Amino acid sequence: MVKTLIQATADGVMMGSIYGLVAVGLTIIFGIMRVINFAQGSLLMVGMFTTYWLWVGLGINPYLSIPVVVAVAFAIGYLLQRYLLNHLLRSETDREPLSALILTMGLWLALDNLSLLLFGPQYRMAQTSEPRLMLGFLTVSLPRLMAFVLSVGGVSLLTLFLNRSRVGTQMRAVGQDRRTSVLMGVNSYHIYAVAFGIGASITAIGGALLVPFHYVYPTVGVLYSVRTFVVVVLGGLGSIPGALLGGILIGLMDSIGAQFIKASWVTVIIYLVFLLVLFVKPSGLMGVEKE
Amino acid sequence: MKYILPLVGVAAGAALVAVPYVITNDYYLNVAILILWYAFLSTAWNLVGGYAGQLSLGHGSLTLIGAYVSSLLFVRFGLSPWIGMLIAGLCAMAFALLIGIPTFRLRGPYYALATVAVAEALVNTVLNTEKIGPWPIGGARGVLIPLKKASFWLLQFSEKWEYYYTMLGLLAVLLVVVWLIVHSHIGRYLMAVRDDHEAAQAVGINAARYKLLALALSAFFSALGGVFFAQYYLYIEPGRIGGLDLSTEVALIAILGGRGWILGPLVGAIVLVPLGELTRAIFGSSYIGLHLFIYGVILIAVIMVEPRGVFALAAKLVNRFRQQGKTGREAVDP
Repeated sequence: MVKTLIQATADGVMMGSIYGLVAVGLTIIFGIMRVINFAQGSLLMVGMFTTYWLWVGLGINPYLSIPVVVAVAFAIGYLLQRYLLNHLLRSETDREPLSALILTMGLWLALDNLSLLLFGPQYRMAQTSEPRLMLGFLTVSLPRLMAFVLSVGGVSLLTLFLNRSRVGTQMRAVGQDRRTSVLMGVNSYHIYAVAFGIGASITAIGGALLVPFHYVYPTVGVLYSVRTFVVVVLGGLGSIPGALLGGILIGLMDSIGAQFIKASWVTVIIYLVFLLVLFVKPSGLMGVEKE
Repeated sequence: MKYILPLVGVAAGAALVAVPYVITNDYYLNVAILILWYAFLSTAWNLVGGYAGQLSLGHGSLTLIGAYVSSLLFVRFGLSPWIGMLIAGLCAMAFALLIGIPTFRLRGPYYALATVAVAEALVNTVLNTEKIGPWPIGGARGVLIPLKKASFWLLQFSEKWEYYYTMLGLLAVLLVVVWLIVHSHIGRYLMAVRDDHEAAQAVGINAARYKLLALALSAFFSALGGVFFAQYYLYIEPGRIGGLDLSTEVALIAILGGRGWILGPLVGAIVLVPLGELTRAIFGSSYIGLHLFIYGVILIAVIMVEPRGVFALAAKLVNRFRQQGKTGREAVDP
């Protein structure tokens, strides 16, 4: 029994780190622009398909294609923000713009269904078996382990970037106080675009990490969308370590919970926990109430 | 000139009543019924999303409750769906109020996410539950409503046009109710709360009470919509009647049509539903997802040009023709 629990914990942490990575993308976008991006799942899907086609079509190893995925997702995110969202944000005066949220819903519909049109609804799998490693009694799946390492590594690099680089500092400034940062000479709309690009590419990396062991299909994003919201709120909207922590917690809930009750009931419980967090402490575990 | 809008309204109403005489093809009549059904659900949604200003993406939970309560009573006890509607409506109201009291404290996107969680939790619960006590509710297999005999009392008809008029009647009732609300103090208070929550409260309006009132009515009518669906298609399953797809479609139709306008959702439905159906009919098998892609593009376009929806856009245009000296405010009434 203890052995299965330890196995479940390991699996949960590894899978959770991916949830966390995807959530970090969303939380950046929210932290800096106060926009809840309903299309985040679609960006995950973009990352997955880019990796998949590079692997299956050109034989490029999924981990090596990450730079390409980053570039593609960043470009898409940057352009979307620059030409669509920014236009909307300029005319909105709300602190938490709902029109922007609705725009992202349109983006979600358009992206997912464009993918459906281009690639068809079939579920694709890049490889049929996961290479495994034995650590004592633990069975560790190599792609999941890689995903964990790269997720944590990626988030650390991102945090470093945000804290040390000039653009990163500008991003944090805009997130904290838009008006003042503009007074300080920051082009907030440019920063918004960069932030969206980064948020998109972080999530897309998560997609790349999933490809070695996850089904790839146009609506895969929807599965992750709601989950990602749960993770982000749990960890605290706007908090990067919170998102990673939240992801791991959800991953653990998933895998350990599945040992005791039917998996679909675990989903219900996760939603209930989500609601509880929203009611009791909407700023989440590590979030800060931003005014 | 002054009576042109009411005249257009009467003409439109007459056109709606005349539809089954003009459209005899069953397929197109079905599309017409769907237009009315979506308009109905979206108008009910509009009470919360448009007038109370809370973006709900979980209204499917209310349609689900409506459909299941009425259908199970019908299957088990042969209870007339008209009575089933009342009971289902009350159940949905209770559920909505229970959820609404804590969730209305959340604003904007937080509220939207909470409604998604509620709806998804409910759908997943129903999917996993085979029976409640001794009552089978079908779980993932859904509920089949037996076709007993064509009768108004049983809300089962042999001809599509009978369903059409039933839906039209329901929609008319709802529109009257919404009209009454909007033109009463309830409506004014709601809109005050929607436009500036703190200011409204500072003036002494009990924001929570009015929002909950709007939610209760919205829930009641959404449930009715669920009952109609069950009686029309004779089969319900949790994903279709309560899932995220329906919840977002209903919200989208109201938003695109015009969130804070009485007829906004109807306009939205008239524009979007045929578009969806036609695209599906023409391209359906060869280009899966095209109609939703088009929905997405239209949504993006509309929200960028006129976030308040097609109806607001039309109103602005009507204004341009009319106004020579008046400021826009008087003729346009959100």
